[in-house]
Amino acid sequence: MKYFKHIIVLIALLFIAPACTNYVDYKAVENYEITADVYFQSKSDYEAAVVGTYDPIQWTYLNVLIGDIASDNSLSGGESATDVIGLQQIDNMTQTPNNDNLTSIWKWMYEGINRANYLEENKSKLDFDGKEILYGEVYFLRAYYYFELVKFFGDVPLFTESRLTATDSGTLQRAPKEEVYTQIEKDLQNAVANLPTSQAQKGRATKYAALALLGKVYLYQDKFTDAANTLEQVIGVYSLVPNYGDQFLKTGENGPESVFEIQYTKASKWYDWGFVPQGTEGNFGIIHNGPRAFSGPTYASGWSFNVPTEDLYNSFSDGDTRKDASILNMAKFAEDNAGYNNGEGVSYAEGYKNTGYFNNKYIPRAGETDGQPELNYLTNYRAIRYADVLLMAAEANNRGSISDDKAQNYLNQVRDRAFGDTAHEITATGSTLTQAIWDERNFELSMEGVHFFDLVRTGQAASKINSFVTGKNEVFPIPQQEVDISGLTQNPGY
Amino acid sequence: MKTIVLSIFISLVGIVVSAQTFEIKGTVADANGMPLPGVSVIVKNTTKGTSTDFDGNFTVTNVNKGDLLEFSYLGYVTKTVTISNNNALNVQLKEDTESLEEVVVIGYGTQKVSKISGSVSTVNKKSIEELKPVRAEEALQGQAAGVNVISNGSPGAKPTVLIRGIPSYTGTDPLVVIDGVSQTLDDLNSLNPSDIESINVLKDAALSAIYGVKGGNGVIVVKTKSGKKNTKTVFSLNSSYGVQSVVNTIKVLNASEYAAILNEASVNSGGNLIYNDLSGLGTGTNWQDQVIVDAPIINHNITASGGSENTTYYLSAGYLNQDGVIGSGDKSYFNRTNFSANFNTDLTDKFKFIVNTSYANIKNSSLSENNIGSVLSNALNFDPTVSPYDANGNFGTSSTITQEIKNPLALINNTYNAGKTNKLNGKLEFQYKLADNFKVTSRFGYTYVDVYGKNFIPLQFYGVGHNSTNANSDLSPIVTTDTDGNTSSTHNRISESYTNYFSYTYELYANYDFKINEDHSFQTVLGASIGKNTGNNITANAEDIPYNSWTYADVSAATGDAASQTSGSWQYVNRNISYFTRINYDYLGKYLLSFTGRVDGSTSFGKNNKFGFFPSASLGWVVSSEDFFKSNVINYLKLRGSYGAVGNDNISPQFSKITTFPKYTFDGNIVSGSALQSIPNDNVSWENQIQYNAGFDLKLFDSKISLTADYFQKTVSDLLFNPTLSLYLGTPVYPAANIGKTKSYGIDASLSYNDSFSDNFKINTNFSFTTSTNKVEDINNGDKFIWGAGYGIPYTPLTRFEQGFSPGYFYGYKTDGIFQNQTEIDAHATQNGAQPGDIKYTDVNGDGVVNDNDRTKIGDPFPDFTLGWNVSLNYKDFDFNVFTYASVGADIYRAYDRNLNYTNKFSSILDRWTGEGTSNTEPRVTFIDTNNNRRASDRYIEDGSFVKIKNIQLGYTLPESVYKTTGFTHIRIYTQVKNAFVFTNYSGYDPEISSGVLDTGIDRGTYPQPRIFSIGVNVKF
Repeated sequence: MKYFKHIIVLIALLFIAPACTNYVDYKAVENYEITADVYFQSKSDYEAAVVGTYDPIQWTYLNVLIGDIASDNSLSGGESATDVIGLQQIDNMTQTPNNDNLTSIWKWMYEGINRANYLEENKSKLDFDGKEILYGEVYFLRAYYYFELVKFFGDVPLFTESRLTATDSGTLQRAPKEEVYTQIEKDLQNAVANLPTSQAQKGRATKYAALALLGKVYLYQDKFTDAANTLEQVIGVYSLVPNYGDQFLKTGENGPESVFEIQYTKASKWYDWGFVPQGTEGNFGIIHNGPRAFSGPTYASGWSFNVPTEDLYNSFSDGDTRKDASILNMAKFAEDNAGYNNGEGVSYAEGYKNTGYFNNKYIPRAGETDGQPELNYLTNYRAIRYADVLLMAAEANNRGSISDDKAQNYLNQVRDRAFGDTAHEITATGSTLTQAIWDERNFELSMEGVHFFDLVRTGQAASKINSFVTGKNEVFPIPQQEVDISGLTQNPGY
Repeated sequence: MKTIVLSIFISLVGIVVSAQTFEIKGTVADANGMPLPGVSVIVKNTTKGTSTDFDGNFTVTNVNKGDLLEFSYLGYVTKTVTISNNNALNVQLKEDTESLEEVVVIGYGTQKVSKISGSVSTVNKKSIEELKPVRAEEALQGQAAGVNVISNGSPGAKPTVLIRGIPSYTGTDPLVVIDGVSQTLDDLNSLNPSDIESINVLKDAALSAIYGVKGGNGVIVVKTKSGKKNTKTVFSLNSSYGVQSVVNTIKVLNASEYAAILNEASVNSGGNLIYNDLSGLGTGTNWQDQVIVDAPIINHNITASGGSENTTYYLSAGYLNQDGVIGSGDKSYFNRTNFSANFNTDLTDKFKFIVNTSYANIKNSSLSENNIGSVLSNALNFDPTVSPYDANGNFGTSSTITQEIKNPLALINNTYNAGKTNKLNGKLEFQYKLADNFKVTSRFGYTYVDVYGKNFIPLQFYGVGHNSTNANSDLSPIVTTDTDGNTSSTHNRISESYTNYFSYTYELYANYDFKINEDHSFQTVLGASIGKNTGNNITANAEDIPYNSWTYADVSAATGDAASQTSGSWQYVNRNISYFTRINYDYLGKYLLSFTGRVDGSTSFGKNNKFGFFPSASLGWVVSSEDFFKSNVINYLKLRGSYGAVGNDNISPQFSKITTFPKYTFDGNIVSGSALQSIPNDNVSWENQIQYNAGFDLKLFDSKISLTADYFQKTVSDLLFNPTLSLYLGTPVYPAANIGKTKSYGIDASLSYNDSFSDNFKINTNFSFTTSTNKVEDINNGDKFIWGAGYGIPYTPLTRFEQGFSPGYFYGYKTDGIFQNQTEIDAHATQNGAQPGDIKYTDVNGDGVVNDNDRTKIGDPFPDFTLGWNVSLNYKDFDFNVFTYASVGADIYRAYDRNLNYTNKFSSILDRWTGEGTSNTEPRVTFIDTNNNRRASDRYIEDGSFVKIKNIQLGYTLPESVYKTTGFTHIRIYTQVKNAFVFTNYSGYDPEISSGVLDTGIDRGTYPQPRIFSIGVNVKF
């Protein structure tokens, strides 16, 4: 082996040169990435994480659309019978567990919950001024997300301690909705205790927002006394705007009637269709409601989903200012604007299930978007309005047999504003009053995404919604993917 | 001084003593009489000798009568001549066919084919020169058995290359090694195919395991050309000019047919006639004719190669310009300029220095392709009653189609993008010979790429209310005013980006070859490698380009406000470290044995699994060398078998990432937030692929016929992918995990026949066969499948990667004809919304309801097998080559129908159902499709089998007498037709549809491969 010496040298070279095996270790900071192990070390990290917890509440546009499409208020619409098939099926009450829209709602609400839980997990890492308020917001948001899930799906997996990780996949089962409601109440009570009555920044949850949501949660469980007590704490804090329709305009955002409002802006000028609704700060629900290929003043083109039925339009009494504020009657609008564009007039293309009516509360309006127009509508979603609080308080007082006087009072505040006089006040009591309150809810809140859940909650769904199957359609199916992956039980009938 | 005097003295004595010696002159030529330069001429058993000059001449002095002169030259049979007198010797050397095929480049060394016990496919420069591909992969299609190449018609686009099936989910691109330097398949876009000496595809684990974790998808080893020592400079010039054209068009409705069908659909759904008078419509506009153009392709290459005593060189310059056949040449082109220089120098007897440098400049521009927004999709779906231009010379618009689909000419006009790539790659290599059989190599290989891209989205108009319109008809911005009187406006937009990629590999290894007792030969390699890849990008966007014009389209010229100027960046890095070894052993060249092993460490792996070990072993037995083997028919028979492990680390490094992307709006202002975006899997490791190979090499009838066949089986366990986890985990990116298993098996074989019937007539034909069957054995992932690609608006998912099925198969409903009447609907399983004339879907699970659960496998986009057949004939000065490629058994899913009420339809709709018994294949037309007849179903599946005559070439080499005095040594002219004929039943443009593995075979209006007629000339001087 005369090359022995060389071989030794070579082997030495081979193993000395790359001997540093940490050469293949990876540190995220090499790519300027922030990692979990360096996070939650300053107040600003907590503040940012709370903002991150608000973020998914902007992704609730489908929740709102379905709240009316599933009910007798509106039809699916769209381009054709196969456009957003998930919504088409929900309109026909033929939804199956394979419904992309329902899957999105499930995932997005759970993302919100996980973000809230991530803050819970890191709660003890640092103390700072204002921490209680921040966590009050977190609990409010978690309750909001869980409430959406319970409304849509009934029993759902419940977890609150920390963000789930990959190893938690498939380990959870559905918790009875009573348990979920208990957690929601607990979170909201926490929020009530820690949130201030007003926040410097519009859009943040306040104590009253938490009370209003808590009252709603009680009402959904028919806990009328708790509901009445809770909601009445909000009464008098807000006021009804004089002109009903104004609050749905841009100028009416975050107005005196707004208890909690999901905030949107056109300022992000988002262009990427591939990352919607997460990427944009605009309201992706708005474009769905607009008339197709629209040419005319005030409004802008949209996709003609969620079109109000003629029955809904005609259900309003004469003199009810909410009729045309809630629903755009396109024929009438065209008549009124016949001179538009040098006499060309107003035109639009009829979509699938066209009724000639459009959702005038949440509709693309000219000049209210930027960037890719479809993705950036600035319209806030008025999640809880004072009128809703009044009607809920009325219902709680009436159905809880607490005070029909109070109930009438609250109800009539809403009606007086709507008709601009006191001539339309209701004087009924008992179950007649109950029905009047329920009907009033839809005159007041139609096309705001609450009607289907009201119908279900009050047992009216089967009588009002075609093809509604009692014992099945009160809740939507658990996404098939979740059943397959996590072994969750399916809701009955699906 | 003393020594000089002494030598002079000795020389003088020598002259005196050797009075009987004489000088001998002569020439050495090959079998065709072409002089051979650089042939070694040695007086046997002495050190006396010389080598032939550029014209094959030699002179040897001081020879004696009876001396033996030995003529040797690489690639030729060594010849020995006994000197009888001093007459000039004219020696002819025969090509050594045994040794020419011989040496193949494998990882970290070369090996004689006769001693290889692994599985390799080789494509040599002759095939590449005949085919003249734009990208090197094209030359592998049908020529390298075991490699399945699915070509892409778009200029310069990367094809799908699968070596032995689809083992992995995370990527199937093989490793590409160019002159020892590891690169990627993407890098082949910048390599000039005419610089390639050979391509060897390392198919089995025995050969690819030396590349360890990178070798899982096979390895393509490219060797570029180099010069030869002691040859004068040979210049070679190749030029060609071709015209490309599209052969097939798709039959769509003309204007009258379109109007009639719309009328019927409207009436069927309770509406009124849309066109009251069809008589004036005529045939209208065929939009395909408007967008498909004949386009040129130009190719020039010049090379210079040669060498001196110590140095060889190969210099090359190339230029290629290919315009697209869709749209126009200024909107769709691929333009490549290459320069490369390969130098090889003996610094000393022992010390060799090699420097290869290659520079490429690529300019390209493209139009949208293979999606619903592509030019072809628009041409197929747009309203045929609209004229290309209106009376004012503006682009024609449709008042009824108001979304996505638009005048394709306007789309072409409004598409502006440009890409520029500058790329430098090469290597610096030192080889040090410790001894004749012991060599140390130190190699630094690098790739440096700068990619610049620009994209301009102008203000554009497709009709009032069209969702792609962002301008008024005069192209002024649309200004809208909200209730407060605030205005907002549409804008044109510009985006520019710079991306830099840099990667290097440093390798240090030693090759030591030795024999024990002469009979036992060993070839060994031991080495280490360290490498790094980085990428950096920065992108800037802005609005409001002056004059809405491409001329001014640059971020620097944009006049938009500060809020409209946005930027972004990204970067990545990964590193590898590896140790490897190989021992090849043979006993008398009869019994072959090989072991390789590689240890790889990677930043991609989880903390707990930083290093992987990839061993392999192979055995070979040259049966024909055995004494007992006597056959006049079989000249050579070798049996081979191998077993080994390779890997795949195709994942990104993992960590708990806090993203600062989430935002919310307070007080109308956007506030940045944060969320946990990804969670690491500390245990993630490489995919572990175990591969078996068994094969044989056979030569028959004086080696005129040779057959090589291999059977392989691959099992990938620990398959890497991002699992679908419980949805209640939310939306973060969950880590890649090793949770699946696939299995592939198949056969690849090649058969060749070479013969000379006379000096004037030679034939060379080669036949290759490739097949593989792939199956996903296991996905340890909740629902046992992952969606792959889909199509259309609304998006319809179509392909799946699912346990128990082949990867990327088509998933949808099975159809069972058309419901002829209500009775049939009532008799069938419940199918919501069905009416007579609608499609009947099969109730696959038999539960009495047709719903999502009845979807099943409806097709497979990968072929059962592919065949390539190449024939070359030489007759006197003519040469003729035909290459045929066939792919059998692949399914295609037609997905180019936009399906709007007013979009154009395909001619098949003329045979629609219009009443009982009228059709059992095409459903009724309606504007209200309550049955969802357009759902993903086997109705859209077609057989994508095809036979393509890929290449026909006829060349003529001018007789030397023509250019004798001009200084040229070789002039050949040729004419070539690429994609000459396609035989297929597929109704679309082209049955070859290339994309990602889970996106293969979906025809969204795929870019057809054009037929190219070209003429060219090859000149040497």
